[in-house]
Amino acid sequence: MSWGVYVHIPFCRRKCWYCDFVSAPGTRGQMTAYVKALQREIKIEGRRLRERGVTPPRTVYLGGGTPTALPVNLLLSVIESLREDILALTAEGEEREFTVEVNPGTVDASYLAQLKKAGVNRLSLGVQSFDDGILQNIGRIHCGEEAAEAVTLAQKLGFPEVSLDLMYALPGQSLDVLQKDVARALSLAPTHLSVYGLQVEEGTPLFQQVADGKIILPSEDEAEAMYDYLTNFLPSQGYSRYEISNFALPGHESRHNMGYWQDASYIGFGAAAHSYWQGERYQNTADVGAYIAAIPQDEPIREPEEVMTREIAMAEFCFLALRTAQGLDKERFRHKFGVSLAEVYGEVINGNKNKGLLVENENFCRLTPLGMKYGNMVFADFC
Amino acid sequence: MQKKNIRNFSIIAHIDHGKSTLADRLIEYTGTLSQREMAEQVLDNMDLERERGITIKAQTVRLDYRGKDGELYQLNLIDTPGHVDFNYEVSRSLAACEGARLVVDAAQGVEAQTLANVYLALEHDLEIVPVINKIDLPSAEPERVKHEIEEAIGLDTEGAVLASAKTGIGIEEILDAIVHKIPPPQGEAAAPLQALIFDSYFDSYKGVIAHIRVMEGQVKKGMKLKLMATGKIFEVTDVGCFKPQPMDLGELHTGEVGFVAGALKDVRDVRVGDTITEADRPAKEPLPGYRGVTPMVYCGIYPVDSVDYDNLKDALEKLQLNDAALVFEPETSVALGFGYRCGFLGLLHMDVIQERLEREYHLKLITTAPSVIYHVHKTNGEMVAVDNPAALPPATEIDFMEEPYVKATVIVPKDYVGAVMEISQEKRGEFKNMDYLDVNRVLITYHIPLNEIIFDYFDRLKSATRGYASLDYELEGYRESKLVKVDILLNGEAVDALSTIVHKDRATSRGRQLAAKLKEIIPQQMFEIPIQAAIGSKIIARENVRAHRKDVLAKCYGGDITRKRKLLEKQKEGKKRMKAVGKVEVPQEAFMAILKID
Repeated sequence: MSWGVYVHIPFCRRKCWYCDFVSAPGTRGQMTAYVKALQREIKIEGRRLRERGVTPPRTVYLGGGTPTALPVNLLLSVIESLREDILALTAEGEEREFTVEVNPGTVDASYLAQLKKAGVNRLSLGVQSFDDGILQNIGRIHCGEEAAEAVTLAQKLGFPEVSLDLMYALPGQSLDVLQKDVARALSLAPTHLSVYGLQVEEGTPLFQQVADGKIILPSEDEAEAMYDYLTNFLPSQGYSRYEISNFALPGHESRHNMGYWQDASYIGFGAAAHSYWQGERYQNTADVGAYIAAIPQDEPIREPEEVMTREIAMAEFCFLALRTAQGLDKERFRHKFGVSLAEVYGEVINGNKNKGLLVENENFCRLTPLGMKYGNMVFADFC
Repeated sequence: MQKKNIRNFSIIAHIDHGKSTLADRLIEYTGTLSQREMAEQVLDNMDLERERGITIKAQTVRLDYRGKDGELYQLNLIDTPGHVDFNYEVSRSLAACEGARLVVDAAQGVEAQTLANVYLALEHDLEIVPVINKIDLPSAEPERVKHEIEEAIGLDTEGAVLASAKTGIGIEEILDAIVHKIPPPQGEAAAPLQALIFDSYFDSYKGVIAHIRVMEGQVKKGMKLKLMATGKIFEVTDVGCFKPQPMDLGELHTGEVGFVAGALKDVRDVRVGDTITEADRPAKEPLPGYRGVTPMVYCGIYPVDSVDYDNLKDALEKLQLNDAALVFEPETSVALGFGYRCGFLGLLHMDVIQERLEREYHLKLITTAPSVIYHVHKTNGEMVAVDNPAALPPATEIDFMEEPYVKATVIVPKDYVGAVMEISQEKRGEFKNMDYLDVNRVLITYHIPLNEIIFDYFDRLKSATRGYASLDYELEGYRESKLVKVDILLNGEAVDALSTIVHKDRATSRGRQLAAKLKEIIPQQMFEIPIQAAIGSKIIARENVRAHRKDVLAKCYGGDITRKRKLLEKQKEGKKRMKAVGKVEVPQEAFMAILKID
């Protein structure tokens, strides 16, 4: 079985103004306590997995928050725990994807070198934009130049996979500015790009600023022009759009993230981490303090998200797979649910085909480029 | 049984005043069923009847009761439908009785339907015995209600029984009053048979079973009988009474109530109100009061998925087996494809049929807004009855049109008289009369177009009177009216199933309201959808459904899945029943939008 490990580091230097994730600045003491709890959770889970004869995970992903907001020795001790308690199961020499999310404002050459040495082979850098004014507008702690330097550094140190996160529809960003951002990003020759449109979530400082009229966002039409530019230009430069918001050079897709869309299992460690195991979804308590307090007492921190019904399982299987360029694998659906895709969703598929949102062949059903634009409309039909 | 020991009676009451519960107690008290056999409200057979607390089909039961005088009495209870839609059916049931128990809720008092049914009973010279029910309620005011019955109906309440069907108080008194106050049936045993049909149902083994009251003569197994209205002749295979399960007796005598069956296949041959007589020795005349089936409202019923067309037909045919009042014929709509135009006795009847089609036959349906029957007088002198707005001839061919009016009776507490009058005027009502039933309650009569009644009149009355208004209506006749057809165009194309006929003076505002309502109902799609209302070629209103917002590039990783799916489910809500009309997906509600504008 191919499965993944996710570790959540709920700390950052300063919260970005658009961020609604479980993340906040932490003191050294909080970080130490958190890592200690994390190591214990990993150890206990590792023992359980070993007892059940589970084969080791194929991908590891350390995300946040900002994993690199931790002092390097703390982050290394998390990696060490994973190695001992989870990855030790590994058969020697097997290739594994090991990603760490990096905020360019938090790392130097020594930090990255130690990650490399610890076995990390993929870095995902939160660049967002190279325009310093825009970076300020959204509360990032780094400037464009620092981001570019971090990328170059990672490449020099020999990380085989370097991915950049970019954002569009940011306050102050015109199509022109976005084009410059993209040109700069491509000049750095990353293997992978994730591109997200800014979403203003309620409860974030940005939401308030927009509500107060202090910040003006690009219009819907401008945002669409940016979308069109990105989804046309990046593939023309060799970065194929293998999922709605992800682009990669051939063979450099994120295997960990592909797992989310292709129904692979994963176990999440740390506060607010989600797991998907044996067809059920779980979430760890999102309260960092409660997590730190509960773990040493062996109190349960992992709660089922909901009762998974067959209908829910089918809906999720479909809408996640449809996010990918490959699309929904009919044989896998059949194999998993014992019924053909057409039998369950024939009407839905035909309706969306007629609207030009879906196409299908014998083996796959996938979104058209128009369908990707109206993905939520199509997905809703499968729910 | 000797005629002098037979009593035929029905129970009349407003919805929820406890008619069915009282019937249950009588069955229980007389030992007709043991307690073990009693399901709550045994006489309401259909799930729907039990859920809605209404009686749709008449039911009868024979109770054997040993009176205080030591004599054995045969009491035939005929449970009647309690809704205005089934007025004719009620009248036939009442015609089969000599008396009626009038059940009035001790807290609620007299309601419009109570009155309507009492008047019906009085027309049939029935002996009416009042029962004040639910006296166990803390809010019961039996004296006030008695007073109201005297004032409103002019009925002596001296012998009124105070009862609680729920707790069993007063049940024996009710049975005694039936024996003593209601006269025994008349009729000659030797006369040619005259039996009144007051209901019928279809049994898959025995064919159509008619509920009858023997007025003259008698029925025996093997007799050759004739249905006077339809001319059908059949031989009696089963004859008996309901206890409440059918019990074969071999014969029914003068004055008795029961059933008769005999290889009759089609319920439409066995019409409520028809007279059964002997084939070889027919009665000179049928019993009075027979009327054919006359639907009051029509609507189109279409399968959401066209492959269900034949299933819909089968389902309608099966429902018709038990419901001769349901009529239907094939209809096609440009927008909705193949379906059926169905006629109903009224809105409740329509609701019940729709619900049964969906529930019992698992059909996904689109129903168009109900229409009354218009009389369209054409310039060439021809008159056509139009029950579908889409079928209205072009304006140039129409000389004038007539629409059905009803006499509407509303009872409300006096504080709400103003509200009732305001709504009734607005609904083109013509004030007729106002009476104080007592110091507090008022009976108001209006003549109102039926067209306005089916457009939310009762809903509006209810909300304007905090639920106190009760309504009853009966067809008053046809009147000339200035009517026009308002068409709706979606994306520039007229949608026949959304056309509606309205009074000329209201056409523009209705058109605007309808377009605005449709804007609310039709979900955003990939393109902008103009909605226009038009009279002929003149556009009177326009709205736009904006194009659905396109997605932004959004992430969806391990922690986002459940939340994301829930958002998608929310987005999907209410989207279930859509019909593609041209390029536009139209939800089922849209076809009823006209009923929802205010």
